[in-house]
Amino acid sequence: MSRSAVKPAHPHSRHAHLGPKPQVKELVPTLKRLAGYLARRKGLLFLVVLMVAASSALGLLGPYLVGMAIDDFIITKDEKGLALLLSLLGVVYIFYSLTIFLQNYWMVGVAQKTVYEMRTELFAHLHQLPLSFFDKRQHGELMSRVTNDIENISSTLNSSVIQVASSVLTLTGAVAVMLYLSPVLTAVTLLIVPLLYIGMNWITRRTRRLFKEQQRHLGELNGFIEETVSSKHIVKMFSREEKIALAFNDRNAKLKEAGFWAQTYSGFIPKLMNMLNNISFALIAGAGGLLTLHGYVTVGVIVVFAEYSRQFTRPLNDLANQFNTLLSAIAGAERVFDILDTEKEEEEKAEGIRLDEVRGDIEFRNVSFSYEKGNETIKQVSFKANQGDMVALVGPTGSGKTTIINLLSRFYDPDSGAIFVDDCNTADISRQELRKHMGFVLQDSFLFEGTIKENIRYGRLEATDEEVIEAAKSANAHTFIMKLPDGYETKLQHEGTGISQGQRQLLAIARAILADPAILILDEATSSIDTITEMYIQEALSRLMEDRTTVVIAHRLNTIRQADQILVLNQGRIVERGNHEELIKKQGQYAGYAGSLSPTALKQ
Amino acid sequence: MKSVLFYLKPYRNYMAFAWLLMLVELAVELTHPLFMAKIIDEGIAQHDMGAVYKWGGLMLGTSLLAFASGIINSFAAAHVGQNFGFDLREKMMDKIQSFSFSNYSRFASSSLITRLTNDVTQVQNAVFMSLRIMLRAPLMVVFGTVMALLIHAKLTIVLLVTIPLMILFLLKMLKKSASLFRSVQQRLDGVNNVMQENLTGIRIIKAFLRWKYENSRFQQASEQLMAQTTRVLRTVETTTPVLLLVMNSSLIAILWFGFAEFTSGTATAGQIVAIINYATRIISSLSMFTFILMAFSRARASGQRIGELLEQPEEEADQRLKGNAFYPQGGKIEFNDVSFSFPGGREPVLDGLTFSIQPGTTAAILGATGSGKSTLFYLIPRLYEPDRGKIFIDDQDISTVQPAALREQIGFVPQESHLFTGTIRENISWGKEDASMEEIIEAARRAQIHETIEQLPNQYETMIGQKGVNLSGGQKQRLSIARALIRKPLILLLDDSTSALDVRTEAKLLSALREKRCTTIIITQKISTALQADQIILLEDGHVMASGSHEELTAGSELYRRLLASQYGKGGMPHVKVSR
Repeated sequence: MSRSAVKPAHPHSRHAHLGPKPQVKELVPTLKRLAGYLARRKGLLFLVVLMVAASSALGLLGPYLVGMAIDDFIITKDEKGLALLLSLLGVVYIFYSLTIFLQNYWMVGVAQKTVYEMRTELFAHLHQLPLSFFDKRQHGELMSRVTNDIENISSTLNSSVIQVASSVLTLTGAVAVMLYLSPVLTAVTLLIVPLLYIGMNWITRRTRRLFKEQQRHLGELNGFIEETVSSKHIVKMFSREEKIALAFNDRNAKLKEAGFWAQTYSGFIPKLMNMLNNISFALIAGAGGLLTLHGYVTVGVIVVFAEYSRQFTRPLNDLANQFNTLLSAIAGAERVFDILDTEKEEEEKAEGIRLDEVRGDIEFRNVSFSYEKGNETIKQVSFKANQGDMVALVGPTGSGKTTIINLLSRFYDPDSGAIFVDDCNTADISRQELRKHMGFVLQDSFLFEGTIKENIRYGRLEATDEEVIEAAKSANAHTFIMKLPDGYETKLQHEGTGISQGQRQLLAIARAILADPAILILDEATSSIDTITEMYIQEALSRLMEDRTTVVIAHRLNTIRQADQILVLNQGRIVERGNHEELIKKQGQYAGYAGSLSPTALKQ
Repeated sequence: MKSVLFYLKPYRNYMAFAWLLMLVELAVELTHPLFMAKIIDEGIAQHDMGAVYKWGGLMLGTSLLAFASGIINSFAAAHVGQNFGFDLREKMMDKIQSFSFSNYSRFASSSLITRLTNDVTQVQNAVFMSLRIMLRAPLMVVFGTVMALLIHAKLTIVLLVTIPLMILFLLKMLKKSASLFRSVQQRLDGVNNVMQENLTGIRIIKAFLRWKYENSRFQQASEQLMAQTTRVLRTVETTTPVLLLVMNSSLIAILWFGFAEFTSGTATAGQIVAIINYATRIISSLSMFTFILMAFSRARASGQRIGELLEQPEEEADQRLKGNAFYPQGGKIEFNDVSFSFPGGREPVLDGLTFSIQPGTTAAILGATGSGKSTLFYLIPRLYEPDRGKIFIDDQDISTVQPAALREQIGFVPQESHLFTGTIRENISWGKEDASMEEIIEAARRAQIHETIEQLPNQYETMIGQKGVNLSGGQKQRLSIARALIRKPLILLLDDSTSALDVRTEAKLLSALREKRCTTIIITQKISTALQADQIILLEDGHVMASGSHEELTAGSELYRRLLASQYGKGGMPHVKVSR
């Protein structure tokens, strides 16, 4: 007995600690929706069904011809006739294999194309979701939906459609033949149908929830792995390796638990089918016996009948054997649809204002916003910036500086108040249209896997190589890029080594320079860059800021001093505003703040 | 693959049990036609209802036996499959946690994730399946052939020729499709990778309106996955028609040779019918083989990927528990001619670095972007080993010290905060497992984050999302500082971790740090921060350019004066002309 023995306790008590039970949707709508994806390739699907019908017919014709060969030619010793029939049989078999080949061939195409569409649709939809959606989700959990859940659907679609089609065909055929042979015996056989229904119902009621739970735990595990792997430096620095492995196993065990019950219960299905088959077999024998006693049917009919009832339920059995994959695919599909049903960012107004030329006037009018209800991050913020102005946001951490930038670029929309760009309410401008005129250097200077050149070009995809290099030079990134093994063609790995945080920021600045926007947003753009380098790029930045409205968050005095307008924020409110000189004169919060930046002030 | 199957060993009893139950089921299934014959011959044909009830009852009884075996088999198979999967994931995670950075560099993180989830699922499915239905098909073939042999050996020769051929064909297909499936899994890694990047860079993508571009990247990755999956599935699926054609041809051959035997009187019609019957039974179990082939070749491919991970050699750099004990004293740090370059890097990042920091003092490291400041931090806890030179802590050569013991004494605050999904309390106590609530609050106080936490809806129990998104940059940094402080470290390493803090908060933080005497190294860009250190080390291109106090450096270092000027203007006083 191994260490994690199965305790055959009552299932409900076992699941109790698995956490909140996932919502299970109605089965039929989910299936319909899946079928809707498949139905996009009606033509091919029709061909598949046609081939299934053909192969089923040929599959029946084969044994029939074999019987004929024995009865009519072998026993009669008709060699010529036999040769003829066997060649015919050969042709039948060739077509039989061909139809099977074709149905598989086409079905794989249909299934994989369907899976591809679901995957890309899911991905495209994710990009329509607001940032707040991503705030609360683990990356790995979302990744699991795109990979594990959709792969589940993929592995099922291939076989299940053919299986279902051939099952339906053969079942219909079987019932027809059985009815023809003996309606009474057919009725007896069909007695098991209600039993089957009850049994399947009992099982699927449990397994559907369990499979969804299994997929959810798999998603959470995925999330955990993603998080720990991408924070490997921290894990090592803090010697947390063993603890991580332990915490991993908690989740691992939950997955095992859900998986165990899901597999066990769904494993009952083929066994149930088998038993009901056997029972029907016995029933036919018993009832058939009684019937023959009274002369209603012949022995021959019973033999043939039994053979049919057995032969024709085989595909159903095959289907039952795959039922567990089918159920886990449905669970996967539900999780995919859950995301697809998450509301997109508020639908853009169709006739949204187009901004062709943007001057860059910005106005905040009584704007309030909270990430979480009841905890306002910014309160009643109003300010105005004219074209070409530089606005600096100053204040302690958590005072709402980044939030103002988030609202201006419509990453989030204000709870109350309005924001205007060139006197247009930004709520009426589509996000796309708005951001086209903005350039960003954000706090985390995220770079993608790809070459340095590709990363800079991200700012403007149609830029030429010369323009990319020009932008890099302005951002003072050219020198360090040339020192890299492959210069601009150096591949950056995800969280790659060999390039420092400050260098990342230089690349991000080059990216923004290349984008050439009307409104420039710099959120701690130079925080990790040494001040000498910063001086060098200051010129480029100043040139960049010249005719543009710039919103800057910075902690360095020499950056802040240049601003036309400094907004001092505290706990989400603007407490002081004006330019450097005015605010120094005022001897308020800013003056204290600026004073603290002087070396003499700190050396006390 | 072998290393993966090894993990089935603890469950061999369960597996044998499951197989036994499967055999019971199969036996029942195979004897049923016998009972049926009895019912017809002894019962119905003789008008003997007693015999019908007797054999019918026996049939029902054995059905129930088979059902019971099937149900128990479900438990056993699920038990083995799920525990096997659990063990594999556990072993893989343990292995990953023992990875050095050079191990890590061999796997994209998206690939590690796929291996731990999707690949394990594939292997697990194959095991589960093999315990439930796998034996059925091969046994059907063996049973059918043996029965046919007993009936008429000569006619069975046809089957004896085709069946080995079939097995060879299946084995060849297994190998081929396994390698195809391997590249399917690789492309799945690719899809996973684009997805991960997009989630991490979602703000940038939104800001630069690049979702269309990203969409096309994702489409490309998915298309590749689709193409390869289609290819391999089509290859595998050809198995069924090919096998059917071969077996059906042998059926024709049996009929043909059967005719000759029949005419020469060496076979009866009944024998021919019986052999044909068994051959059809064999044929009807063939579709199962494709199914098994599919599962096994997938499992083989995934098993190799899992094995690859499990068989990673342990790097010298990360034998965390090997080495001498560490005897911490005051926390004196000494670098002696240390050089380092990243594997594959052209130029050394650090080049002949020599300096020392006295116990309990604070040193600030200033230097240009890319001058090797962060790299230096990775050498102290032995996350990387220097190429040349030695590092001493409290006069112990750290290359001889057990890394885990060394890291116990170090509090590290990274540039990017890297918080984890969980509550604030959990994130702080991440630094010290058994920390009491008082310790947590203490650390938060010293990191200047306690008051902010108190204002949150659930205070210390507030959940923070992936990477702590609903906190501001500065708040995240302070949480990450609290996480380091709670360890009460001998040495505290702050990697530009106060960049998002305003000056006042930073000043409070630094003076709180001074209360507890631990050796502190601060990487910073701000002279105002550096001024509060006992010693300033100036780094350029991996060399120490100068070190000393503010006054010493102002007097002695041109670079320092330039730095000073860049932040405060020429006179060190806050009025400066900046070109606008």
